[in-house]
Amino acid sequence: MEKGATLKSKGKEDSFKGKDDSSMKSKYGRKVHINFEGSLEPKTLSSPKHVGKDGTPFPKGYSSKGGKGDKIANGGKTPAKEPQPLELNIELELPENVKCMSMMDCEAASILQGIQDQMVTLSKDPELKLPVPFDKGLQYAKRGVHYTNPQSVRKVLETLTKHGVSNSELCEIANVGPESVDEVFSLVPSLKAKRSKLSEPLKGVLSELAKLKESASLASQLEEKVNMGENQHKEENSHEDSFVW
Amino acid sequence: MFFHIVLERNMQLHPRHFGRNLRDNIVAKLMKDVEGTCSGRHGFVVAITGIENIGKGLIRDGTGFVSFPVKYQCVVFRPFKGEILEAVVTMVNKMGFFAEAGPVQIFVSNHLIPDDMEFQSGDMPNYTTSDGSVKIQKDSEVRLKIIGTRVDATEIFCIGTIKDDFLGVINDPAAA
Repeated sequence: MEKGATLKSKGKEDSFKGKDDSSMKSKYGRKVHINFEGSLEPKTLSSPKHVGKDGTPFPKGYSSKGGKGDKIANGGKTPAKEPQPLELNIELELPENVKCMSMMDCEAASILQGIQDQMVTLSKDPELKLPVPFDKGLQYAKRGVHYTNPQSVRKVLETLTKHGVSNSELCEIANVGPESVDEVFSLVPSLKAKRSKLSEPLKGVLSELAKLKESASLASQLEEKVNMGENQHKEENSHEDSFVW
Repeated sequence: MFFHIVLERNMQLHPRHFGRNLRDNIVAKLMKDVEGTCSGRHGFVVAITGIENIGKGLIRDGTGFVSFPVKYQCVVFRPFKGEILEAVVTMVNKMGFFAEAGPVQIFVSNHLIPDDMEFQSGDMPNYTTSDGSVKIQKDSEVRLKIIGTRVDATEIFCIGTIKDDFLGVINDPAAA
């Protein structure tokens, strides 16, 4: 009985301490659980019901409480700790020891389109189908494309690498297709640190990109109007892009 | 964001596939096995673009299967926290809205939608500003920022926000 009582109080104490250290709590929790099963269950006195209520759901309740406590702790911490917006750290998140290269949407679109064209001509085999994510990926890549000629976009953006802009950041800029320098810094916060250095070259790059965009949209308008054969059209696009260059 | 990446995989092949078409068989099986799958580390494998090399096969004890280490290049699509994506809205409800960017599903909770946008129910549920100038409904295109990701065997789910500068509706199907 005495044991049960102390356990009970322990359990209560614990369940109240929502923000307690989790390792300590799990220790407690385990102890209580084992003790309960080992020594208390056989001693079915007047308290077991009570202890059972306190004891059995305790680990469960404790875990959910712990979770809540954690959340509260986190919620309290994060705004205080890092008020700056979420930064994109692709380089850090990528798996190491794997060759990996981020691409712009327009590059992906041209590669995927190539694969699809190949599939259409190569395989009449209905079993060899491209999976759903492929179609969705291609659709996405094509929809978000602001430019027709990936090489020229790359060339323009690569001038930024000497200012310490990483490859993934370049791709991010190309994919978003920003119109102003402010927009770039707002959407790619990791560049903010280099803001003073980067503003000028970025301005130049954006105006170049805007020209490419214009030519791309011009080309697509032309396509709508003339509705030429695809090969001819592709040639024309590359022409226009190179013309800008 | 799309990536070009080199991955490795052990392909187990039944002896009936051996012979002069061995390489083709390995590649075909690889495409069937890998394309369209998704992992937390690499994201969606959208397409295999090339084979770097196929190593020496190793006979598995007891089964007769032979496993070949294959190095292949592929295009993957992986969302990152902090990344900006342009997504198409697929469903709107009072909790927020779902959008799709390529193979990735994104949920934007109503807490992460600007406060001046109110939910309007009806047969075309939407979020609208008080002056009615901006509307988010099915098939709207939105620019959003990923703030969290969750991965399971076949899908990646993301949590996004449009409550920030330069985020929100890009084009409105109703206005067009």
